[in-house]
Amino acid sequence: MKAVKTRCLLSIIPVITILVPLVLHAAEPEEIIKYRQNTMKAIGGHTAAAGAIVQGKVDYKNQLADHVRALQALTADIPGLFPKDSDFGDTKAKDEVWSNRAEFEKRAKSAKTNVAAFAKAVQGGNPQTIVASFKEVGESCKACHKDFRKKDD
Amino acid sequence: MSGRAAVLLWLVIAASPVLADDVRQHGEYLFRAAGCATCHTDEKNHGVPLAGGRALKTSFGTFYTPNITPDPDTGIGRWSEADFIRALREGISPAGEHYYPAFPYTSYTRLTDTDQHAIWVYLSSRKPVQQANKPHELPWYLRSRASLGIWKKMFLSTGAFQSQPDRSAAWNRGAYLVNAVAHCCECHTPRNFLGGFKESRQFAGNSEGVEGTAVSNITPDKKTGIGKWSETDLVEYLETGATPDGDYAGDIMAEVIDNSLAQLTKEDRRAIAAYVMSLPPLENTIHKRTNKKPKPKKEEYE
Repeated sequence: MKAVKTRCLLSIIPVITILVPLVLHAAEPEEIIKYRQNTMKAIGGHTAAAGAIVQGKVDYKNQLADHVRALQALTADIPGLFPKDSDFGDTKAKDEVWSNRAEFEKRAKSAKTNVAAFAKAVQGGNPQTIVASFKEVGESCKACHKDFRKKDD
Repeated sequence: MSGRAAVLLWLVIAASPVLADDVRQHGEYLFRAAGCATCHTDEKNHGVPLAGGRALKTSFGTFYTPNITPDPDTGIGRWSEADFIRALREGISPAGEHYYPAFPYTSYTRLTDTDQHAIWVYLSSRKPVQQANKPHELPWYLRSRASLGIWKKMFLSTGAFQSQPDRSAAWNRGAYLVNAVAHCCECHTPRNFLGGFKESRQFAGNSEGVEGTAVSNITPDKKTGIGKWSETDLVEYLETGATPDGDYAGDIMAEVIDNSLAQLTKEDRRAIAAYVMSLPPLENTIHKRTNKKPKPKKEEYE
């Protein structure tokens, strides 16, 4: 019994050693900006991949659910990717992300809702609903980029 | 009245409202394709459509778009059709003043007579809105419009689009939509220090675009343009704003897609793509403009 307890305690040590630096040091803003750009790229990658399946350009139907799960996870907390003081330097985020926070959060929430509807449609399996709900996901990407991201395309 | 004359009269009476409707609808289509409402509406501040007031920040100063509703006092209600056509074709106001080229007459001059007439018919059918125009905010040396006459001699060639007989109908349609109607070059072609287009760098993008944006190179250059896109990719982008790598258009381009390009017929989007993909590829790296705000000061020993 005692041996088991010790083993349990020992197994926590590496977890603590990993977590401690994460808790004690606030992340560098530059790193946050890079992290959110990479997350956005991942969202874009899954969106493009899902789109190719939805539009019948490729035949990877079995993978569609994986892309949807990833999209749901990655869009769960978009405002969390834009903390205060991550609004300078190498970012295309407009000042409005912070100055018009309520609207920004509303858009992020609508993206999340649209991704959830897309997930439901994929589960339901009706091709028409899948195509329509995928379009809505894209609309929410564009709507948010329109007001909150500086042009570069 | 003879039978034939009666039939003729009936035809004229019956047909004219239908024709007028057709012209107005054609005008509305062009009006959307040309994005008139995008600039002439201050959407950010919940402005009334077409009543103007939108600020266009450029490297030459801030322009405020005018009211183009048919209001007689503050809009274009007292204009004749000839006034309107002269504005589009030559960039001259009814009072004989030159317009600043923030108003893209360098492109609208390429519209056909029929299309300019149709846009006029549609605009005249809009509801008048009383809203006074805001004066532009320009440096002193640009406040006189007299120098614009010289500018026009250097950079404006008037006249409707001429189709190229050795190219397909779709290509010509695309060229017309891009160069006369949707006026893509106004943002996507770099300008010299006088604000004229660098003709040899057509559509190669502009790092110093309107409203402080970086406007991308849309020539089919593999490295710095859209050379890796397929024509279908471009057609899709013009409709949904989705790039082949899953990014979505933002800022002004998202407005252009929502207000104009997504509302075109599929054939027209295909024509635009066919034309754009046929452009000579130009290498031009666009420097993305990022926030210049300094890094917040970190407290020591945090």
